[in-house]
Parts: sequence; C-alpha cells; structure tokens
Amino acid sequence: MTLRGMRRLEARRQMEESNFLLSKARSQNLNPPVDFRLLDYVTAYDDNLMCAICRCPFVDPVVLAECDHYFCRDCIRQSWGSTYSPSGPRGDCPQCRTPARLGTRSATSKILVNILDDLLVKCPKHEEGCPVSVKRGEVEDHMNIYCGYAYQECAGERCELPVRRKDADQGCLHFGVSCFDCHETMQKSTLENHWRSECAVRRVTCPRCNMHVLSKDLDSHNSETCEAVSIPCPGASIGCTSRSKRSQAQTHAKSCTFAKLAPVISSQKSRMDEQEAAQKLLSRKLEVLETGFGVMQGILYPKVSVEADDLAADESRIPFLDNSASERTLPPHHPRMFSGDSSGNALSPFDFPVPPTSRPSSAAPGVARRASPIGLPPSESAAALRQHDPIEAYNTNYDLASPGLPPPSTSGGPYVSPLHHLLSMHESLRDEMSRVNSALQELDGRHSMQTLNENLRTREEISYLGAQLAGLSRQVHWLTSTQLQRQSRSATPSAVAGSSSEMAGTSVEAAVNAVSTAATALRGAARMVSVGQGQSSSGSHGPMRRENSAEGRTKL
Amino acid sequence: MAGNKRLMKELAENQSTPPPGCKISLENDDDILLWNVTMTAPSDSIYAGGNFKILIKIPKEYPFKPPVLNFKTKVYHPNVTNDENGSMCLGMLRPDEWKPPNKISDVLKLVRTVLAAPQPDDAVEQGIADQYKNNRKEFEKVAKDWVNKYAK
Ligand SMILES: [Zn+2]
Ligand SMILES: [Zn+2]
Ligand SMILES: [Zn+2]
Ligand SMILES: [Zn+2]
Ligand SMILES: [Zn+2]
Ligand SMILES: [Zn+2]
Ligand SMILES: [Zn+2]
Repeated sequence: MTLRGMRRLEARRQMEESNFLLSKARSQNLNPPVDFRLLDYVTAYDDNLMCAICRCPFVDPVVLAECDHYFCRDCIRQSWGSTYSPSGPRGDCPQCRTPARLGTRSATSKILVNILDDLLVKCPKHEEGCPVSVKRGEVEDHMNIYCGYAYQECAGERCELPVRRKDADQGCLHFGVSCFDCHETMQKSTLENHWRSECAVRRVTCPRCNMHVLSKDLDSHNSETCEAVSIPCPGASIGCTSRSKRSQAQTHAKSCTFAKLAPVISSQKSRMDEQEAAQKLLSRKLEVLETGFGVMQGILYPKVSVEADDLAADESRIPFLDNSASERTLPPHHPRMFSGDSSGNALSPFDFPVPPTSRPSSAAPGVARRASPIGLPPSESAAALRQHDPIEAYNTNYDLASPGLPPPSTSGGPYVSPLHHLLSMHESLRDEMSRVNSALQELDGRHSMQTLNENLRTREEISYLGAQLAGLSRQVHWLTSTQLQRQSRSATPSAVAGSSSEMAGTSVEAAVNAVSTAATALRGAARMVSVGQGQSSSGSHGPMRRENSAEGRTKL
Repeated sequence: MAGNKRLMKELAENQSTPPPGCKISLENDDDILLWNVTMTAPSDSIYAGGNFKILIKIPKEYPFKPPVLNFKTKVYHPNVTNDENGSMCLGMLRPDEWKPPNKISDVLKLVRTVLAAPQPDDAVEQGIADQYKNNRKEFEKVAKDWVNKYAK
C-alpha cells in the first residue's frame, strides 16, 4: 500500500471518529446553552450586582422575602439541595441563616433584571474568533441567529454534521484534508481553527507590517508587537485622544502631557481605591462596634421605664461594691445622668437615697416636692412616695450594702461575675452621683430661701425709711410754713422777731440735716438691695449679705 | 462549573492581592482544588517569625461545601491537632456552619487571627489548652521552641 493510501485511510478513520463525536454533540444540542457564569464581562459591574454565592452578576435573580437577600435562582436552589416542600424550595438564607423559601414573592424588580441584561459581555465564542460584544440579555440571540462561530447543520446533501455559521455557504466541508504546512490530517471544517490556534509551522504575512509571523501568533502579534497597528496614547485614560502607530507611540508619549501624568494619576487612583476599600472595611467595623456598644449600653443602662418598675428589686439585687470608697471619690460625669435626664423620663435626683449627713434642710423637701411632676404614673409615684422618706430608703439600702453580704437572690441565680461587677460598680456610682446632686439641690434651695428672706427684709426697711422721710418732709414743711406765718404776722415787733427767726433758722437747718441723713440711709439701703439681688442670682454665700443689712441698719 | 469559575476568580484575586501574611499557590498547576498557602505569623504573636505551610483542599461542591485546612508545618497550638493532619478546628468550616458566601480569603484571615489568639475553649488539643490556661509561660516556651524547630 502506498504512503498516500495509508494517509487516506487514516484520514477516513479520523473523520469517522470525529463525525461520531460531533453527531453525538448535535443530538444534545448544536450549540450548548450559554452558561452565563462563564461569560467575560466587558463593562465593569458594581459589587452590588454580584451574587454572594457564584460571585458573578446575578443570573435570574431572586430575593428572599424573609431577609431581603438576593441570589441567583440556581445558586440558592443548589445551596438548599433537596430540601423541597410543596410550597416551593425552602431552606436557610446562605448569608444570614434566616429560614426562607422561594415563593411567588421572590421575583425581583424589573429594573434589576434590566440592569443585568444591559451589561456588555464578550461573545462566548470569542476565543474561537468572534469579535462581537453584546448585551447580556441578547447573547442567546447572538448565538442562535447571528454568531458566525456558532454551529448549525451542514448544508451539504446527506450531511447532517455541524458547521460554523460563517462557513455554511461554502458547501459541505466534511471531508478530510491535510494542512499544507504541517501535513496533519483533519476535516476541512476544522482547518481554519487548526491554523488559528494549533499549527506550529504555518506562517502568514501580517497585512499591516508585512512581517512573517506564525499563523497562531497573529492575534498576539496584532495586539502586542505589530509596529503598524495604531494604538491609543498611554494617556488615553485621562483624556488624550491621539492614536499613533506602535512604532511612533514612543515619540508621541515623550511629548504628551497626558502620557506623563497617566502613571501618576493611575497610581493615585489605585491608592484612592485602596483607601476607599479600607474605609469601607473600617466603617463596617465601626458599625459592628457601635451595635456591640449599643448592646453593652443596653445591658449597663436598662430602659428607664423598665428600671422604674424594677427599681426596688434592682436596688435590693445589686449590692454596692465599696461604699466607703465610692463616697469619697466622685465620678467626673455620669453618662446616665445625661442620657436619662435629657430624655425627660428620668428619675428625679430625689428618687435616690440621701446620706443623713447631707440631708436637705427643711427648705429642700419643699423644692423637691415642687420638682416632681403632678400626674405620676403608678410606678413613678411609688418612687415619689419613697422620696418623702429618704432616711428609711437610705437605711434599707445601707443594710443591703454592708460588705460581705451576698446579694439576696430575689429572682434568678447569681450574676455572671464581670457583668455583676460592672453593674454593681455602676449602681454605686449612680447612687453617689445622686447623693451629690441632691446635696447641691439642697444647697441651692437654702440659698434661694435666704436671698428671698433678705430681700423681703430690705424691702420692709426701705418702705419704713420712705415713711420716715415722708414724715420728716411733712415736719419741714410745717416748720417752714409756721415760720413764714410768724414772720409775716410780727413784721413790726422786730426785737422778738430777730431771735425767733434765728430759732426758726436753726430748726430748719436741723430738719434739712435730718432729711439728708435719711436720704443717705435710703441710698445705702438701695445699694444693699441691689447687691443682695446680685448675690442671689450668682448664688454666693449669705454672711456678707447679713453684714450689709446690718450696716444699713446701723446707718439708720 | 459555576463553582470552578468562582474558584478561578478567587485564586486570581488572592494571588494579585493576597490576604495579610499569606502567599498562595497551587500545589499542582493543573489542580485548582488544592491550594498551597504559606502563612507568616503576626509579628506580635508568640509564633512571630514562623512560616506555616497550610494545604487547603477544596471540595468539588465548593462554595456549597467548606474547604478543608491542614497545617503541614507542626504548630503547638490548642486549636490545631498535633498529628500528621494538623487539622484546625474553625467554627466557620464546620459543614453546618459554613455559608456559601464565605471566601477562602476570609477563612485565611480567620486562621491567622486564631493563630495569634488561641481559643482554648474550642480546643482540639485539650492538654495544650489546659497548659495555655494554667501555665502560660511553659506554653509559650514550647510554642516558641516548635517555631524555631519546625517553622523557620
Ligand atoms: Zn449566583
Ligand atoms: Zn438573608
Ligand atoms: Zn459571536
Ligand atoms: Zn457536511
Ligand atoms: Zn498545520
Ligand atoms: Zn504586523
Ligand atoms: Zn497623548
């Protein structure tokens, strides 16, 4: 048998084998359905469009109504496996473990589907040569109708083998040929692919630069080395629109400001992206910490309404850590005093027991009573009731607080130790704070009472002085008028008149003196009152005021 | 297939921006299901200076099933079994705890955290855990010895 004959035989055998394989492929489908997860996306897509399971833009997205998480329908089904129920697939959300199911409410909004369908992808056959990019929503149409690299049935007579769409009009290509260059035998329909990607011998001339390159390297030659291909300036990303042949690109780049700036700007951009990512991470961390803090706060400072109900129980449950120590040290500030007071729902400071040494004087309970609201809810009025008997509350507290005494377990077991420690510390601080607060209130009340008293007395003195002044002026008036009368009546008896007029003169002088003294006294009193008022507003001490008023009285 | 694409994506991501202290490669170039990680212990941990080789076996069903981690370098740690497997017990890798959205880089970050801060209450080596709790000095001494012996 000749060499030629052997080759032909071999070619037929191979042809039969590949025909069998191809027909098997066709009996399934000429073009396998497009796997959307294998597509290469041309447009950059948002992370929010990415399924957490397959890390691709959603394919047929569904939303779990129970927790609002989105997944591809296939991904969620695969994740749930065979847990199937008549009402639809069900399982736990892969992201948050909320029990959920796929039902009629699982369809996502049209707008999301549209956004996904508009993403630009490369044709699934791009590795075999199809240069087209299409919208994802149209990729199946492209494959079934337009793509030159998709398969369809051969047009040849009695041949049902698949052929690429672009080759369909060349008649049946299902016969054996051998490559002119490497002499490998294959079907005509696959020859082009062989040249394109396999043949290690065939060389072609680059249509642009006339260089001889390996046929399978032509693509990479075009995209990477061909001197004649025009490429965009390296500064294209920041605005340079110029394109030049690869051989002249260097010259342009040297003179182009954009090209010089591009690396700087791109490094800045990557740094910015990095920072943004870091910031995203940090803000997420912060969020976690904040929620944790909130929870902690919830544990440390339970809701006021609950606390008011349970206050009595709380006070008996939580022993003080170290009362003697906490009495000496004052906390600089107390978060609860601010958060609680500003909510307007807080306990008034008098809800807390007051140590006997700094118990308010008789004036203070009055102030306290005025401070407490009228229409108290039952729970708060209980607290208000207790405030009338601070000593008793205080005493019961101290009994419980005596060190070494285990906490009376009114409900539940003993506290978990660190929490218990914190709670008791917090409780003792709060108690101390409230004690200081009530002492301050008491001092303030005493001050305002004193100021009020002093003012009253001064006012009385002023009115008394005024009355005296009026009496004096009446006297002066009377004296002058009698004097005038006497002068007019005894104009002739001048001897008597002389002495009497002298007398009248001295008496008038005395009266005027008295009036001026009274006026000074009055001025002093007025000054004193103003000083007293200033003091009451600034809330300083009383003794000086008393001194002042004493001074005023001595002046009188 | 979907998992494979995701895995390729993750591998590319992990190789271009590896998680802190990790170097990732494939054990065999043609097997994407077997990853080879070299983890450098945090410099402020007692394992500082140690480089630990970790083999990650990824099931075909990934991401629906968790990967399996094995320390190939011996490490004296309450959460790593002291045998030739060097399995690390991690909550998130338990089949019932595993969530498909978890990524391998997340797993590696957690591994490094646990390496630096042992969790004696979740220990697989109870003896080491007890020593960690009761005799920290001795524990640290042995751990450092092992780092010098095996992980340099
Ligand atoms: Zn998905
Ligand atoms: Zn969820
Ligand atoms: Zn195409
Ligand atoms: Zn044909
Ligand atoms: Zn060839
Ligand atoms: Zn060329
Ligand atoms: Zn330019």
